[in-house]
Amino acid sequence: METIQQLIELFPYAILGSIVAGFICAFLGIFVISQRVVFLGASLTQVSIAGVAFSFLHLLNLEGFIAGIFNIDVEHNAFFHNFEPAFYSLAFAFICVLIFSQTYRQKYITQDGILGMIFVISIALRIIFIQKSPAAEVSEIEYILKGDILFIGQTQFIILLAATLLTVLVFVIFQKQLKFVTFDPETAMAHGINARFWLLIFYLFVGMGISLTTRFVGDVFVFAFLIIPSSIGILIGKKISQVFLVSVLIGAIIPPVSLYFAFIFDFSSGPTAVVLAFIIFIITFLSKKIFT
Amino acid sequence: MNNEIIKFTDVSIGYGKKRILENIYFSILENDFIGIVGPNGSGKTTLLKTLLGNLRPLAGEVTRNKVQFGYVPQRDLVQPLLPYSVRDVVMMGRYSLMGTMSNPHKADEEIVDRCLSHVGIEDLKNHNYNRLSGGQRQRTLIARALAVQPKILILDEPTNGMDTPSHYSLLELISHLHDESSLTVLIVSHLLTDVANIVKRLILLERNHFQIGNIEDILSEDNLQKTYSSDFSVSKINGEYLISSKKKV
Repeated sequence: METIQQLIELFPYAILGSIVAGFICAFLGIFVISQRVVFLGASLTQVSIAGVAFSFLHLLNLEGFIAGIFNIDVEHNAFFHNFEPAFYSLAFAFICVLIFSQTYRQKYITQDGILGMIFVISIALRIIFIQKSPAAEVSEIEYILKGDILFIGQTQFIILLAATLLTVLVFVIFQKQLKFVTFDPETAMAHGINARFWLLIFYLFVGMGISLTTRFVGDVFVFAFLIIPSSIGILIGKKISQVFLVSVLIGAIIPPVSLYFAFIFDFSSGPTAVVLAFIIFIITFLSKKIFT
Repeated sequence: MNNEIIKFTDVSIGYGKKRILENIYFSILENDFIGIVGPNGSGKTTLLKTLLGNLRPLAGEVTRNKVQFGYVPQRDLVQPLLPYSVRDVVMMGRYSLMGTMSNPHKADEEIVDRCLSHVGIEDLKNHNYNRLSGGQRQRTLIARALAVQPKILILDEPTNGMDTPSHYSLLELISHLHDESSLTVLIVSHLLTDVANIVKRLILLERNHFQIGNIEDILSEDNLQKTYSSDFSVSKINGEYLISSKKKV
């Protein structure tokens, strides 16, 4: 009890932020898994990191430009202080999903092949960007590139919460279109629904969710929470609503619990959350195999 | 005289610079029942996609008379991982008719129920689509296409990979839908005998060769030899066409 109290006092936004990050990853993960584009998650985490690395080159002074227009003191504004990394991370992710969403019609290369290329090129570009960065040591930048749950502050939490609420709102309002085009895009098109447009919307929100969460909680956490909670949801849920409920509950509950274990045993928080989620997946899988 | 629903005028179809079929002229009329047959790679799916508007013609003009399509894709292409119920799947047929932000109403529910009953699977309404047999899945997809309240029903290889009883009961259902509701039906299949015995007109495709006409005009041994580069015999037993390969000794 004392440890929990200590944790809440020391890392209130880390706890809240990890819940929101787990929730949004699990929510988007259901669609990513059902679309059979799991590798998109892995690729987007690397694309987002490459975007952050690009910001360290300081090729364009976007922060200064925007601050000049709106008369903002960048150094003392928590939101704008980290504007460039978040902007480039999002921009890279959006470019990636724009390209990817238009590739499903071509027959020359498989979607897996395209995602594989995006994955490796992102890592290669990240290394090049870091090497050419005028700022700090390579190891230091590598550390900054990959977020950590414990470093989630008030601003990061608010950004994550806003992005999550917006995503859920859009997916609820346009559930018909998103459900149909992710289920059977060809028939949706034949029935007069603009499948290309709605798939693009779907991928843009996936890109935004993955980009922001990768920046704040790290690529390993994001990729794992895109896959594991939704896989547990699919194993347990007998209806669509049950799949969503189980997935987002697992996604939201595991991160704060793993923060507790990480605190007690002095582990890294992100990997602890991933291992805990995997243990729950194995238990669920074996239970399903034995009892059904 | 029947009205034209869709008209192809000097249409070329294909992907990018690759033309699969050229100079296509034909019309689909109200209450028509057309079969599209041809060997693999002859352009059946490309023709279907162009007809549906999912693929732009490379040349020529496709005129559609503001018709609502009910499309039944190949069953194997719809393999959801999520546990959608049969009702969920059929309700998707109503989505294109609702407002962008509105949800299904009671009238939509009633139409879905009617469509399920029409294809004989009302008792499977709450079942998981993933756990259905091939025939039941196909009926679900047909019910979804009917939920659009279409003017024209288009089916892509509906009997693929089905066992014999499901195969014939599905062909019977398709015929029944055409006869009972005067629904225009277009069926794509590689099973020539099946199609020849239920449709009124036939489109025979081969690479860069397009023919359309009544069954008796199209179904000649000479035509089939040209299309499939193989010899066939065509006979009629008890009013049913029987097409078999001529064995060379």
